[in-house]
Amino acid sequence: MISEASSFTPQTIASPLTQLLWLIPALPIAASGIIALLKQPRRKLASTLAIGSLSISLLLSLWAFAHVLAGWANHLAVRETYNFTWIQVGSAYVDLGWILDPLAAVMLVMVSLVGLLIFIYSVGYMAHDENYTRFFCFLSLFAGAMLGVVISNSILLLFMNWELVGLTSYLLIGFWYAKPTAAAAAKKAFITTRFGDVFFFLGMVWLFAQTGTLLFYNYGAGSLEGLALNNLLAQHAAFGITVAGAIGLLIFCGAAGKSGQLPLHVWLPDAMEGPTPVSALIHAATMVAAGVYLIARVYPLMSAGMPLIGHPGVTALNGALAVVTWVGALTAVFAALIAIAQNDIKRILAYSTVSQLGYMMAGLGLGGVAVGMFHLITHAFFKALLFLGAGSVIHGCCDQQDIRRMGGLRADMPLTFATYAIGMLALCGFPLVFSGFWSKDGILEAAHSGAIQGPYYLLVFGALLTAFYMMRQVSYVFFGYWRGHHPAHESPRVMTMPMAVLAFFAIALGVIGTPAWPWFRSFLNGQPAHFDFHGFAEPGLLSLMVMSSFVVLFGLWLGWKIYGNKSPSPEEPDALEKAAPALWCGLRDRLYVDEFYGITVIAFYYWWARVTDFFDRRVWGGVVAAVAWLFQLWARFNNFFDDSWINGGFDKSCEEFSTGGGLLSRVENGRVQIYLRILAAGMVVLVAILFWMVRP
Amino acid sequence: MNYYDLFRATLPETVLECAALLVLIIDLAALRNAALKTRATVAAILGVIGCGVALWAASIAPSFSAGHDLLLAAGGSAGVAQCGVLVLTALTLLLLIDTEFTRNPGEYVAVALMSATGGLFISAAQDLLVIFIGLELLSLGLYILTAFAKKSGRSAEAAIKYYLFGGMSAAFLLFGFSYLYGLSESTWLPRVVLGTYFSAARGGWPLLAIALIAIAVGLGFKVAAVPFHLWAPDTYEGAPAPAAAFIASVSKVASFALLISISYVAMHWAESLYAAGYLGPGYVTIKSYPPGTPVPRVTPGIVTAWPFIVMVLSVASMVVGNLAALAQISVRRLLAYSAIAHAGYVLLGLAFFSRTNVSAEAVLFYILTYGLTTIGAFGVVGVVERTSGSDKLDAFLGLHKRNPALAAVLLVLFLSLAGIPPLAGFWAKFNLFSAVLGRSYSFPISSPPTVPLVLVALAIAFSAVSLYYYLQVLKRAYVMPATDESPIRVHPLTMVVIIAIGIAVLVLGVFPGLLQNWIASFYPGF
Repeated sequence: MISEASSFTPQTIASPLTQLLWLIPALPIAASGIIALLKQPRRKLASTLAIGSLSISLLLSLWAFAHVLAGWANHLAVRETYNFTWIQVGSAYVDLGWILDPLAAVMLVMVSLVGLLIFIYSVGYMAHDENYTRFFCFLSLFAGAMLGVVISNSILLLFMNWELVGLTSYLLIGFWYAKPTAAAAAKKAFITTRFGDVFFFLGMVWLFAQTGTLLFYNYGAGSLEGLALNNLLAQHAAFGITVAGAIGLLIFCGAAGKSGQLPLHVWLPDAMEGPTPVSALIHAATMVAAGVYLIARVYPLMSAGMPLIGHPGVTALNGALAVVTWVGALTAVFAALIAIAQNDIKRILAYSTVSQLGYMMAGLGLGGVAVGMFHLITHAFFKALLFLGAGSVIHGCCDQQDIRRMGGLRADMPLTFATYAIGMLALCGFPLVFSGFWSKDGILEAAHSGAIQGPYYLLVFGALLTAFYMMRQVSYVFFGYWRGHHPAHESPRVMTMPMAVLAFFAIALGVIGTPAWPWFRSFLNGQPAHFDFHGFAEPGLLSLMVMSSFVVLFGLWLGWKIYGNKSPSPEEPDALEKAAPALWCGLRDRLYVDEFYGITVIAFYYWWARVTDFFDRRVWGGVVAAVAWLFQLWARFNNFFDDSWINGGFDKSCEEFSTGGGLLSRVENGRVQIYLRILAAGMVVLVAILFWMVRP
Repeated sequence: MNYYDLFRATLPETVLECAALLVLIIDLAALRNAALKTRATVAAILGVIGCGVALWAASIAPSFSAGHDLLLAAGGSAGVAQCGVLVLTALTLLLLIDTEFTRNPGEYVAVALMSATGGLFISAAQDLLVIFIGLELLSLGLYILTAFAKKSGRSAEAAIKYYLFGGMSAAFLLFGFSYLYGLSESTWLPRVVLGTYFSAARGGWPLLAIALIAIAVGLGFKVAAVPFHLWAPDTYEGAPAPAAAFIASVSKVASFALLISISYVAMHWAESLYAAGYLGPGYVTIKSYPPGTPVPRVTPGIVTAWPFIVMVLSVASMVVGNLAALAQISVRRLLAYSAIAHAGYVLLGLAFFSRTNVSAEAVLFYILTYGLTTIGAFGVVGVVERTSGSDKLDAFLGLHKRNPALAAVLLVLFLSLAGIPPLAGFWAKFNLFSAVLGRSYSFPISSPPTVPLVLVALAIAFSAVSLYYYLQVLKRAYVMPATDESPIRVHPLTMVVIIAIGIAVLVLGVFPGLLQNWIASFYPGF
């Protein structure tokens, strides 16, 4: 049991640094704007601008992090906000603002650091692409928007950046838009996430209607602070859920869309059609984690009314967090099952990402912000590493993505293999050395001490599957013998160096989250951290660690037993397919979720579109055409009246003047006389109307 | 108000007059043999500096306390409109630099500055005589500016029409003022309004109605409200582009500021009297009659008639302006009818005016952003016209290939005029219509309370109609195939002005609070 020290004194006054916090997202967005104006051949300048601006953002983020850290060292729970009124309509205010607290600071450093490494990697990966400039424009815009999501203190500002992130995701998935699959994947990603966003938007509007503010924290008047929360808890929406819970669930729908949770996960594997750096940055490390971050940000709302939030042992599953937990745990297992039967190197990682996001959600639901966020941070590093490794493999194998056509790459690409192995072991949660072990262990521990054991068993099973499918992938790719056509080659320095840095973090980050020194959790929760080996002595913890280690090792052993050094030919059926063909086909076809949507939702929309199209063309079209025709007639009449009639009158009078030989006919002032007549007539009409309408 | 106070209060006007004279002197004395471009640049820059100094003078003007002999108001709508007039004047002067319609740029600038002086006066005027003299000062300048392209027959034609129409309207206005003076025995606006209540109750109502309508003719001419709008299309079409921009922006801002003053005073008294029990629903009820006079118990007062007249003008302007604009093929005439339509929207805000600052602030926001947008639009039209020799719709074909920046600004400005978010025009309409609907009481009360709602719905429907003719221009600029793809070269300063206006419209659309807060800061109690 973690010793619960008294919480730190809150520190809320905005420092000058906080007032400058907007620069962190603004710089990459500005860079993106400048790159957008550059001509296509200015490649060097484009990447320099993008990397330069993000480097400055990283420095600012580190500064902000150091600021929060210094506050923390002085026993201050830093939560600095800077708010301002954006629009005022009558007495209603739309406020925006940004926030600096441990949660935002940690995310800032993670996003800008991983982003910067991937930017550098992209210089090598995209070197041969003719749209290099456009790529960095989008990437830079994405980084800015994502950093904007992180620092938002207003749910509206967060939503705006959230949508911007979705837009750049769409643009980057469809980066090779000439490829029909990429264009379709981009559309699918955008529409699916938008579906969740609609509910997020409803939740936002409801929150605004209930609390009258869009700010999260505003010196006691924000929507996540006690007064508003109590108000939200006091009201009941429906089915025994409080308004707080209902709003929380609506917001969770948006998070589920972005973070690929069941049943909105279908877009994420398809999103792998984008360039690999994009998959690494957006669809593994940052954007998909935005959903998790959103839940962490509105955690007071989600957990409102629960006793002793995030306290192991007493976690009561109720309201919104129960839904979050179950959805997360189910997603974790569901996606891990599908990952077993995939043959595309990036698709396996994509399903693995979905599965890990499920872990994070479950961690948030069961163990509080710190548990979920710790897995988010460690996952960001090792999954970015894995994707960059996969990109390096794809690059080295001449754009081959099928793992059955690879093999034996450990000899050809030693650096890639070494870093990939680190990432893979971290993802599996290999005991003690790797960060993934500690973060996953935190989630399992929280699940084990929860009131209901269902999620716990699901998550343990998921861990077994994770080790298994990763071992299968590594065996196919790096062991056995080479089955491709062209010989593979190692990638350039500019690509391997960022991988090495990420590999370092994939190991090193574990240090800050061990039970002996739960620094990360204390930092986020605003408590002092102590180094104390007695952290391991907590009842059940050691046995749990041994058990999870065993599960991981068993999964790895099983994978090696079935796939290690076998190198079956690409045409040969998979080892598991021979054993259970029906199950294998189901998993290979992604459990038919897409097909199910195809015959239900999409079929319905096709039908509905036909009906509305008929109405639009036949019924409304006719009405609109009739109205338009009437208006045209009226406009013509007006014009006729204003121009032609008066013109005609003028011409007539001109003729009269001409025939009369009048001097004035040469100047065109006959027209004015009619104007003046109309003026006088107008006055008379006005007088008549006035006397008729307003009578004493 | 003693002479020193008067001097302090009229410091901006004085500065502007001095600047006008300085421009004339320098142009005649120092630059006699200089090239036309140099003279135009120097004159325009001097004029802009004059506006800047006047702006500074306006900002340091003391706020004097209200007295019964107050000729000019300070703060409130007067302050906002004066700043607006000065800034917009400076912008229109900058458009002069790249034009060639006149050989006498110095005189042009001087006349424009004097005209702007008139605008400053009527923005702040609180006295019938000051109003009339200010209006004449403004209008006479405008007639001259319209005629400034001496080689162009259309310019002269437009000017003579404008002048005749303006002279007639001024006559009506003075006629109305004389009646008002007769009814109230005062020329001071608050006293006039108050006096008319009591004289109307004593049987002066028919005279009051005639007077108000005569005044509506005079002011309706200034803001180009239907049916007093007939000069506008011809003038907008014939006048040189900077002069047209000046008429469309500066003159409009000043005239609407005057209307705000009148509405404000009328509402102020109406509500005071209403609170004191003198006023029934829209009618004056005199409780204590002078003994022996046969007075009706209730009689319509200014607060019934004036909003009603304005309402009629507003509806007529919205309908005729928008519909007639649909059929135009000349962009200048299109802008003229669009100006009539916009005047209709603003008049709606003035008809349903509230004594609280909400209405005044909404109207000010509208006319300032509208003035800014329309200057930019005339800037673009002027550039296109110089290149292709015509302001027909087809002159804009392929603009985005010929000069992408110009086309982009045109897109922003026209969409803003149509009221598309997130541009300034959207917030202008939004604020104005919400001010109309947001009034808790309604004058004229004799009309049912659904009237504002119906009229706002009408206005919104017509702004949807207006999108059609704005998009007609944009369609030619962006979509339809170009006949001529030679690039359009623009004087760098003109380009800077046009782009700055485009950016300002965009920024004010994204952060409307900037302008709203600035306007609100002129009102006491901010």
